[in-house]
Amino acid sequence: MNIQVKETSKSFDQLEVIRDVDLTIMSGEICCLLGPSGSGKTTLIRLMIGAIAPSKGTVHIGETLMPNMKLLNDIGFMPQNNALYEDLTAEDNLNFFGSLYKLERQLLKQRIEEVLTIVDLTAHRHKRVQVFSGGMKKRLSLAISILHKPKVLFLDEPTVGIDPVLRREIWRQFHQIKQDGTTIVVSTHVMDEVIECDRAALIYNGALIEYDTVDNLLAKTETGRVEELFLLAADQQKGGDPR
Amino acid sequence: MMQLAKRVVRQTLNDKRSVMMILIAPLLILTLIYLLLGDTDYVPVIAVDEVTPPQVVMVLEKQELDVIELPNNVESAKAYLSSHPDVDAVFRADREGTDITLQEPSKKSSIAVKEIQAGLTSLNPAAKIATTYVHGSTDQSTFDSLGYVFLSLFSFFMVFVISAMAFVKERSDGTLERLLMTPIKRSEVILGYTVGYSFFAILQAILIVLYTVYILQMASNGNIFLVLLVLLLLATTAVLFGATISVFASSALQVVQLIPFTIIPQVFFSGLIALDLIPYHLGNLSYVMPIFYGASAIKEIMVYGNGFEEIWGYLLGLVGYIVVLYLINVLALKKFRNT
Ligand SMILES: Nc1ncnc2c1ncn2[C@@H]1O[C@H](COP(=O)(O)OP(=O)(O)OP(=O)(O)O)[C@@H](O)[C@H]1O
Ligand SMILES: [Mg+2]
Repeated sequence: MNIQVKETSKSFDQLEVIRDVDLTIMSGEICCLLGPSGSGKTTLIRLMIGAIAPSKGTVHIGETLMPNMKLLNDIGFMPQNNALYEDLTAEDNLNFFGSLYKLERQLLKQRIEEVLTIVDLTAHRHKRVQVFSGGMKKRLSLAISILHKPKVLFLDEPTVGIDPVLRREIWRQFHQIKQDGTTIVVSTHVMDEVIECDRAALIYNGALIEYDTVDNLLAKTETGRVEELFLLAADQQKGGDPR
Repeated sequence: MMQLAKRVVRQTLNDKRSVMMILIAPLLILTLIYLLLGDTDYVPVIAVDEVTPPQVVMVLEKQELDVIELPNNVESAKAYLSSHPDVDAVFRADREGTDITLQEPSKKSSIAVKEIQAGLTSLNPAAKIATTYVHGSTDQSTFDSLGYVFLSLFSFFMVFVISAMAFVKERSDGTLERLLMTPIKRSEVILGYTVGYSFFAILQAILIVLYTVYILQMASNGNIFLVLLVLLLLATTAVLFGATISVFASSALQVVQLIPFTIIPQVFFSGLIALDLIPYHLGNLSYVMPIFYGASAIKEIMVYGNGFEEIWGYLLGLVGYIVVLYLINVLALKKFRNT
């Protein structure tokens, strides 16, 4: 399913945080949201899944106008903060969120095994989240978001605090998930991850300043390095011609 | 809905402190109150002025009193009492009348006066005043007649605190937002929570009632199952009340800070102070306090021995509260998702 964001703005207490964003994320692609801290990546993701209503404009996922409850069956969401139940074990967390999607019992059990393997937490499944390390929490949160095999997956900085080896493994999984036709929207600060994506949207100060395939974007830079995309963004925002 | 209720139960069970707070703390506090308000075998000490006729001193000595002689060099009864804190009263009777000087208006003083009066009436049986109560009996302690208020107070307070804190945590941890990004209805979320905590509320109610009636032997004239029903409704109100308050608090600390506005007024209007004694018709405020309905219903059952016909009005008040708070909470979740 594709995602169409049309002329969308969002203000919090008179302050415009997302400014007039027009963005279509293609079905079955991995799209990354790039932008400095506070630029509005998290807010944009929350607008797309319908956790907050836009002040202006519309968001459609497939043919459906968001927010829509039925469509939530097809959406996976990994928030930036972990949003886990600390008093429950990893497995209880998975069981609980899984049960909300009304997965069939046997299927849920099987999926829990699968996602635990993916995030490498099988050995820690009976531990309470309370005692988890930061990275383990992140991995569990990721596991929950892919549990029901969503058609659209939103990941807000999924790999922060995860070591390079596991990060590579997780990205391998993302490509695997993409193979099944899932659209993935991921926000990130990590430069190496940009190359893994099909397209990148550059967000600066709440505005979408560039949106293109990663290859095209890199061609625009002088050195071909991803960092320059950010500098590009900063320059454009000042209104000046980028070099 | 049931998945949510189950999770709430499991989560609470995993948190030992919450379990203690719901199940053990009320028993502990009730025991303390029982000891504080219950019967005492305190024997007041009274000093008797020597002008008092010996037959009067004799009857006083027959009472549960420790009678001592007032030294004859004291200048005034007040001065004597000030310098002798362990003496409760100075007694003096002569032709002109009877004087009792006491330390302060306190429970000890009232026991002393009661014993002295009992002694004096035995001298003159014609002056005997027979007291009978329509409800309860003269030998009931304050605990028996006020215990019902504490029953409802604790049940409400503990559940309120636990539920408000759980909701605040759920909001600040982002789990509520995540929960609402799954295909669960808003009404199911609130219902699931309410059912989950009601499970503990039932356990708590059973424990409290059994404990007060069978172990603390609080006088109860009515049907225990009706008491359980009232406590359950009251605790359900508390869950929803806590959830509502959590909207106005962004941390557990703020829940505590809000207690002067949420719980303390309810304590005063719960029946601890007779409502028609409260000035400026402020007693009518009790009709907006959920605890009042619970406490009144329990009083009707336990003290007056009344049944369903007499308490349905109070039960209706609680049910009304539950419905209104439920709707408020379901609407409040619109902030996260408006479908
Ligand atoms: N609920 C809110 N109320 C008020 N302002 C908000 C709210 N949510 C976000 N903002 C503001 O919107 C702006 C963008 O925040 P957002 O969280 O979307 O940034 P971000 O790009 O995700 O940053 P980071 O990379 O640090 O996570 C910030 O200035 C933030 O203060
Ligand atoms: Mg963010």
